[in-house]
Amino acid sequence: MHQLRNKSIITLFALILSGVVIGVAHNRALSEGHPFVIQSVVRSAIYPAGASIHSVVSLFAQVMRVARPRSAILRENARLRKQVKLLTEENNRLRELAHESISLKKTLHLHECLGLKTISAEVIARDESSWFHTATIDRGRRAGVTPGASVVNHLGLIGQVVEADPFTAQVVALTDTSSEISALVQRSRCHGLLQGLGGNRLVLTSLPKDADVRRGDVVVSSGLGRVIPKGLVVGRIIRVSRNSIYGTTSAFVRPAVRFDQVEQVLVIKPGRGVAR
Amino acid sequence: MKRTVLPILSLMVACAIQGNLPRFVTLFGAKPNLVLVVLIAYSLASEPGFGAALGFVAGLIEGSAVGLSTGSFIVTRTITGFLAGLVTTRLFSDNPIVPVVSAAWLTLVCEVLFLLANPLASVSAAGMIILGECILNAFMTFILHFILRQFEARRKMRLVNARL
Repeated sequence: MHQLRNKSIITLFALILSGVVIGVAHNRALSEGHPFVIQSVVRSAIYPAGASIHSVVSLFAQVMRVARPRSAILRENARLRKQVKLLTEENNRLRELAHESISLKKTLHLHECLGLKTISAEVIARDESSWFHTATIDRGRRAGVTPGASVVNHLGLIGQVVEADPFTAQVVALTDTSSEISALVQRSRCHGLLQGLGGNRLVLTSLPKDADVRRGDVVVSSGLGRVIPKGLVVGRIIRVSRNSIYGTTSAFVRPAVRFDQVEQVLVIKPGRGVAR
Repeated sequence: MKRTVLPILSLMVACAIQGNLPRFVTLFGAKPNLVLVVLIAYSLASEPGFGAALGFVAGLIEGSAVGLSTGSFIVTRTITGFLAGLVTTRLFSDNPIVPVVSAAWLTLVCEVLFLLANPLASVSAAGMIILGECILNAFMTFILHFILRQFEARRKMRLVNARL
């Protein structure tokens, strides 16, 4: 009994030591931007199960959306018919506007903005831990996803790829406490450092005392460091806090994208570029 | 072999399910930690050394899925697995309250240790999240314990039939 206990304690310390070594090696790999082989292997092993469960959950959600009483379906059908009529008219009008827009873009050489190389991906898992805002997407190194790549959707910037395996990649949300990016206030062009606060909040710090920032101002990525393209919408300022003692200004920002509702994303490869 | 492979497979499946838990399965902003639940459930039925080893694997799997703080995940889960195994040697009971209470306090220990290594949230916010996770994990452990007992009863029945 005594021997068994000693053996268990030795095992415990050996495993803790191994854990520390793996942790240090992982942090080093993260800071150097290299893939961490052990994690890649583990994630590749989990991926088939994760993808299968995601498919089953999606299918179930679809079935639940479709399965409704007949009266509700008929009501919705009538409403949708009306909506189709309205949308057809609107669609015709928008087609005209789209043609006009395309010709204007050509004139202004705005096609350059499409030079941003993007990869479409789907979120297959998110928030595996209560303490981090991370997600797994179904595109990895084989699709061209690399660490540091920006992740966006039609509403704005979501986060950054922190690690990429052959088939999947880990995305850290802007709202995660480990996230820090350079951003600017679109109206006044004031630069600051945008940090995640957990929950659904961000804070723009390192602003000068007299920074021209107001509630409602839109915050966009600054493009400094050439990792995240300039001009991606990050969120809107909801509160400004000025500290007269330290002479600093902080602005609390509500993200444009709710991380827990993201499903389809675009991964922008790191590089110089301006988002329009 | 089967004794090792099955828990590891269970941990992997738990991790895969964890990432696809619906949004409404939350309490005080916390989701149940299924990897931790599986780890505790298996470790409660084994010796401390095996619990620690299983905790190591659980930490590696969870850390890999999250992509951050892998070392903290491994160390905290290893200690949790060890403590769960220690509970078995000190206190064994067929009463379902034992694993449920054990799951709650082991989750508490695990998450407090994790937060000591990674101070990610304010004390009040972290307290609420840990409380929610403890309750949800205890509930999940109760369900898992019930399922495992059913399997165990069937296995014993098969053994008895085979002997007869």
